[in-house]
Amino acid sequence: MRSFNDVRNLLADTLSLGERGLAMGPETPLLGSLPELDSMAVVQLIAALEEYYDFRVDDDEISADAFATLGSLVDFVDGKLMR
Amino acid sequence: MSGSPVAAQPFFLEARVERRFCLYHAPAPGRPCRGALVYVHPFAEEMNKSRRMAALAARRLAGEGVAVLQVDLHGCGDSSGDFAEARWETWLEDIALARDWLERRAGVRAGLWGLRLGALLALDFARLDGKRLERLVLWQPVTGGEAFLTQFLRLRLARDMVGAGSGAESGAGKGTTALRQSLLGGETLEIAGYELAPELAAAIDGCDAASLVPAGIPVDWFEVVPEAGRPMPPGRRRVADGWLERDADLRVHLVTGLPFWGTQEIAECAELVEATVSVCKEEGEGASIAD
Repeated sequence: MRSFNDVRNLLADTLSLGERGLAMGPETPLLGSLPELDSMAVVQLIAALEEYYDFRVDDDEISADAFATLGSLVDFVDGKLMR
Repeated sequence: MSGSPVAAQPFFLEARVERRFCLYHAPAPGRPCRGALVYVHPFAEEMNKSRRMAALAARRLAGEGVAVLQVDLHGCGDSSGDFAEARWETWLEDIALARDWLERRAGVRAGLWGLRLGALLALDFARLDGKRLERLVLWQPVTGGEAFLTQFLRLRLARDMVGAGSGAESGAGKGTTALRQSLLGGETLEIAGYELAPELAAAIDGCDAASLVPAGIPVDWFEVVPEAGRPMPPGRRRVADGWLERDADLRVHLVTGLPFWGTQEIAECAELVEATVSVCKEEGEGASIAD
């Protein structure tokens, strides 16, 4: 969970979650549970991650699994950073 | 004390092809004109979302003696042409036209003030410019045209973005790669209500801030971060550092606020306006065009 804080902040900023964002943990479900995370928000969130980390997310890396929980999203980012 | 605001003057500039809608914010009367800026607006929907911020800043700047000319680029806003006809090269011509008009009107050398892709366009203009810009004011510059285009193309895919399961079938043939192939094949694509021509897409794809080091021009880069104390994103910091390594006359200013060019509700960032005004007030009288 190396990038946990940064990813959580990016998620909270992109979706304007405020305090709720700070309360999120690795198990917090995202896609399908967070009403703010609609398709547009997914696009914006990916853009925010790309901007912040200066990496590229390829089409085939974007899956429901990556966005299932905050933890899975952090794992996804950590994975890309290790390459 | 700032002068009382003068109403902005709308007019049309005759371009090589058709006309461009402009809004001139004259510097407050009874005080020396301390500078002039052509505002280069951002791309597509960002232009609309940031209208309020641009207007606020333009009025504040004019009140402090800086003449500001807003120009709607070809195919954008109230200018002639459809968005499908918009070309990067024409946009560069539009900036030259606006700059020349502003310098004649204000009597001082002008700089460019660009937001997001407008800032990248301003950097490209600076690279090609035969005269010398007084300064560059960059609001949250897009640093990579390719990444920017990918994010724009994704708007069309948003619905299909996150397929069920591990994504094996979800993006097949519909991803940004496929859209880029279509563009390469000469197809104009409709993205979120905007007709994107292949030529414009290619020009955006080919623009990269790291290779557009502004030479011999004072540059003020304003970066909006969500909370005080947050750093500039590392990738963006790298671009700024790269410029500094190549002796750019660059200052980076961090301000706190929302990314108003992209927010669903129209947002303002007062700190950005004030920081910009402060910076533009620093110099004394603007350099006359005879200098």
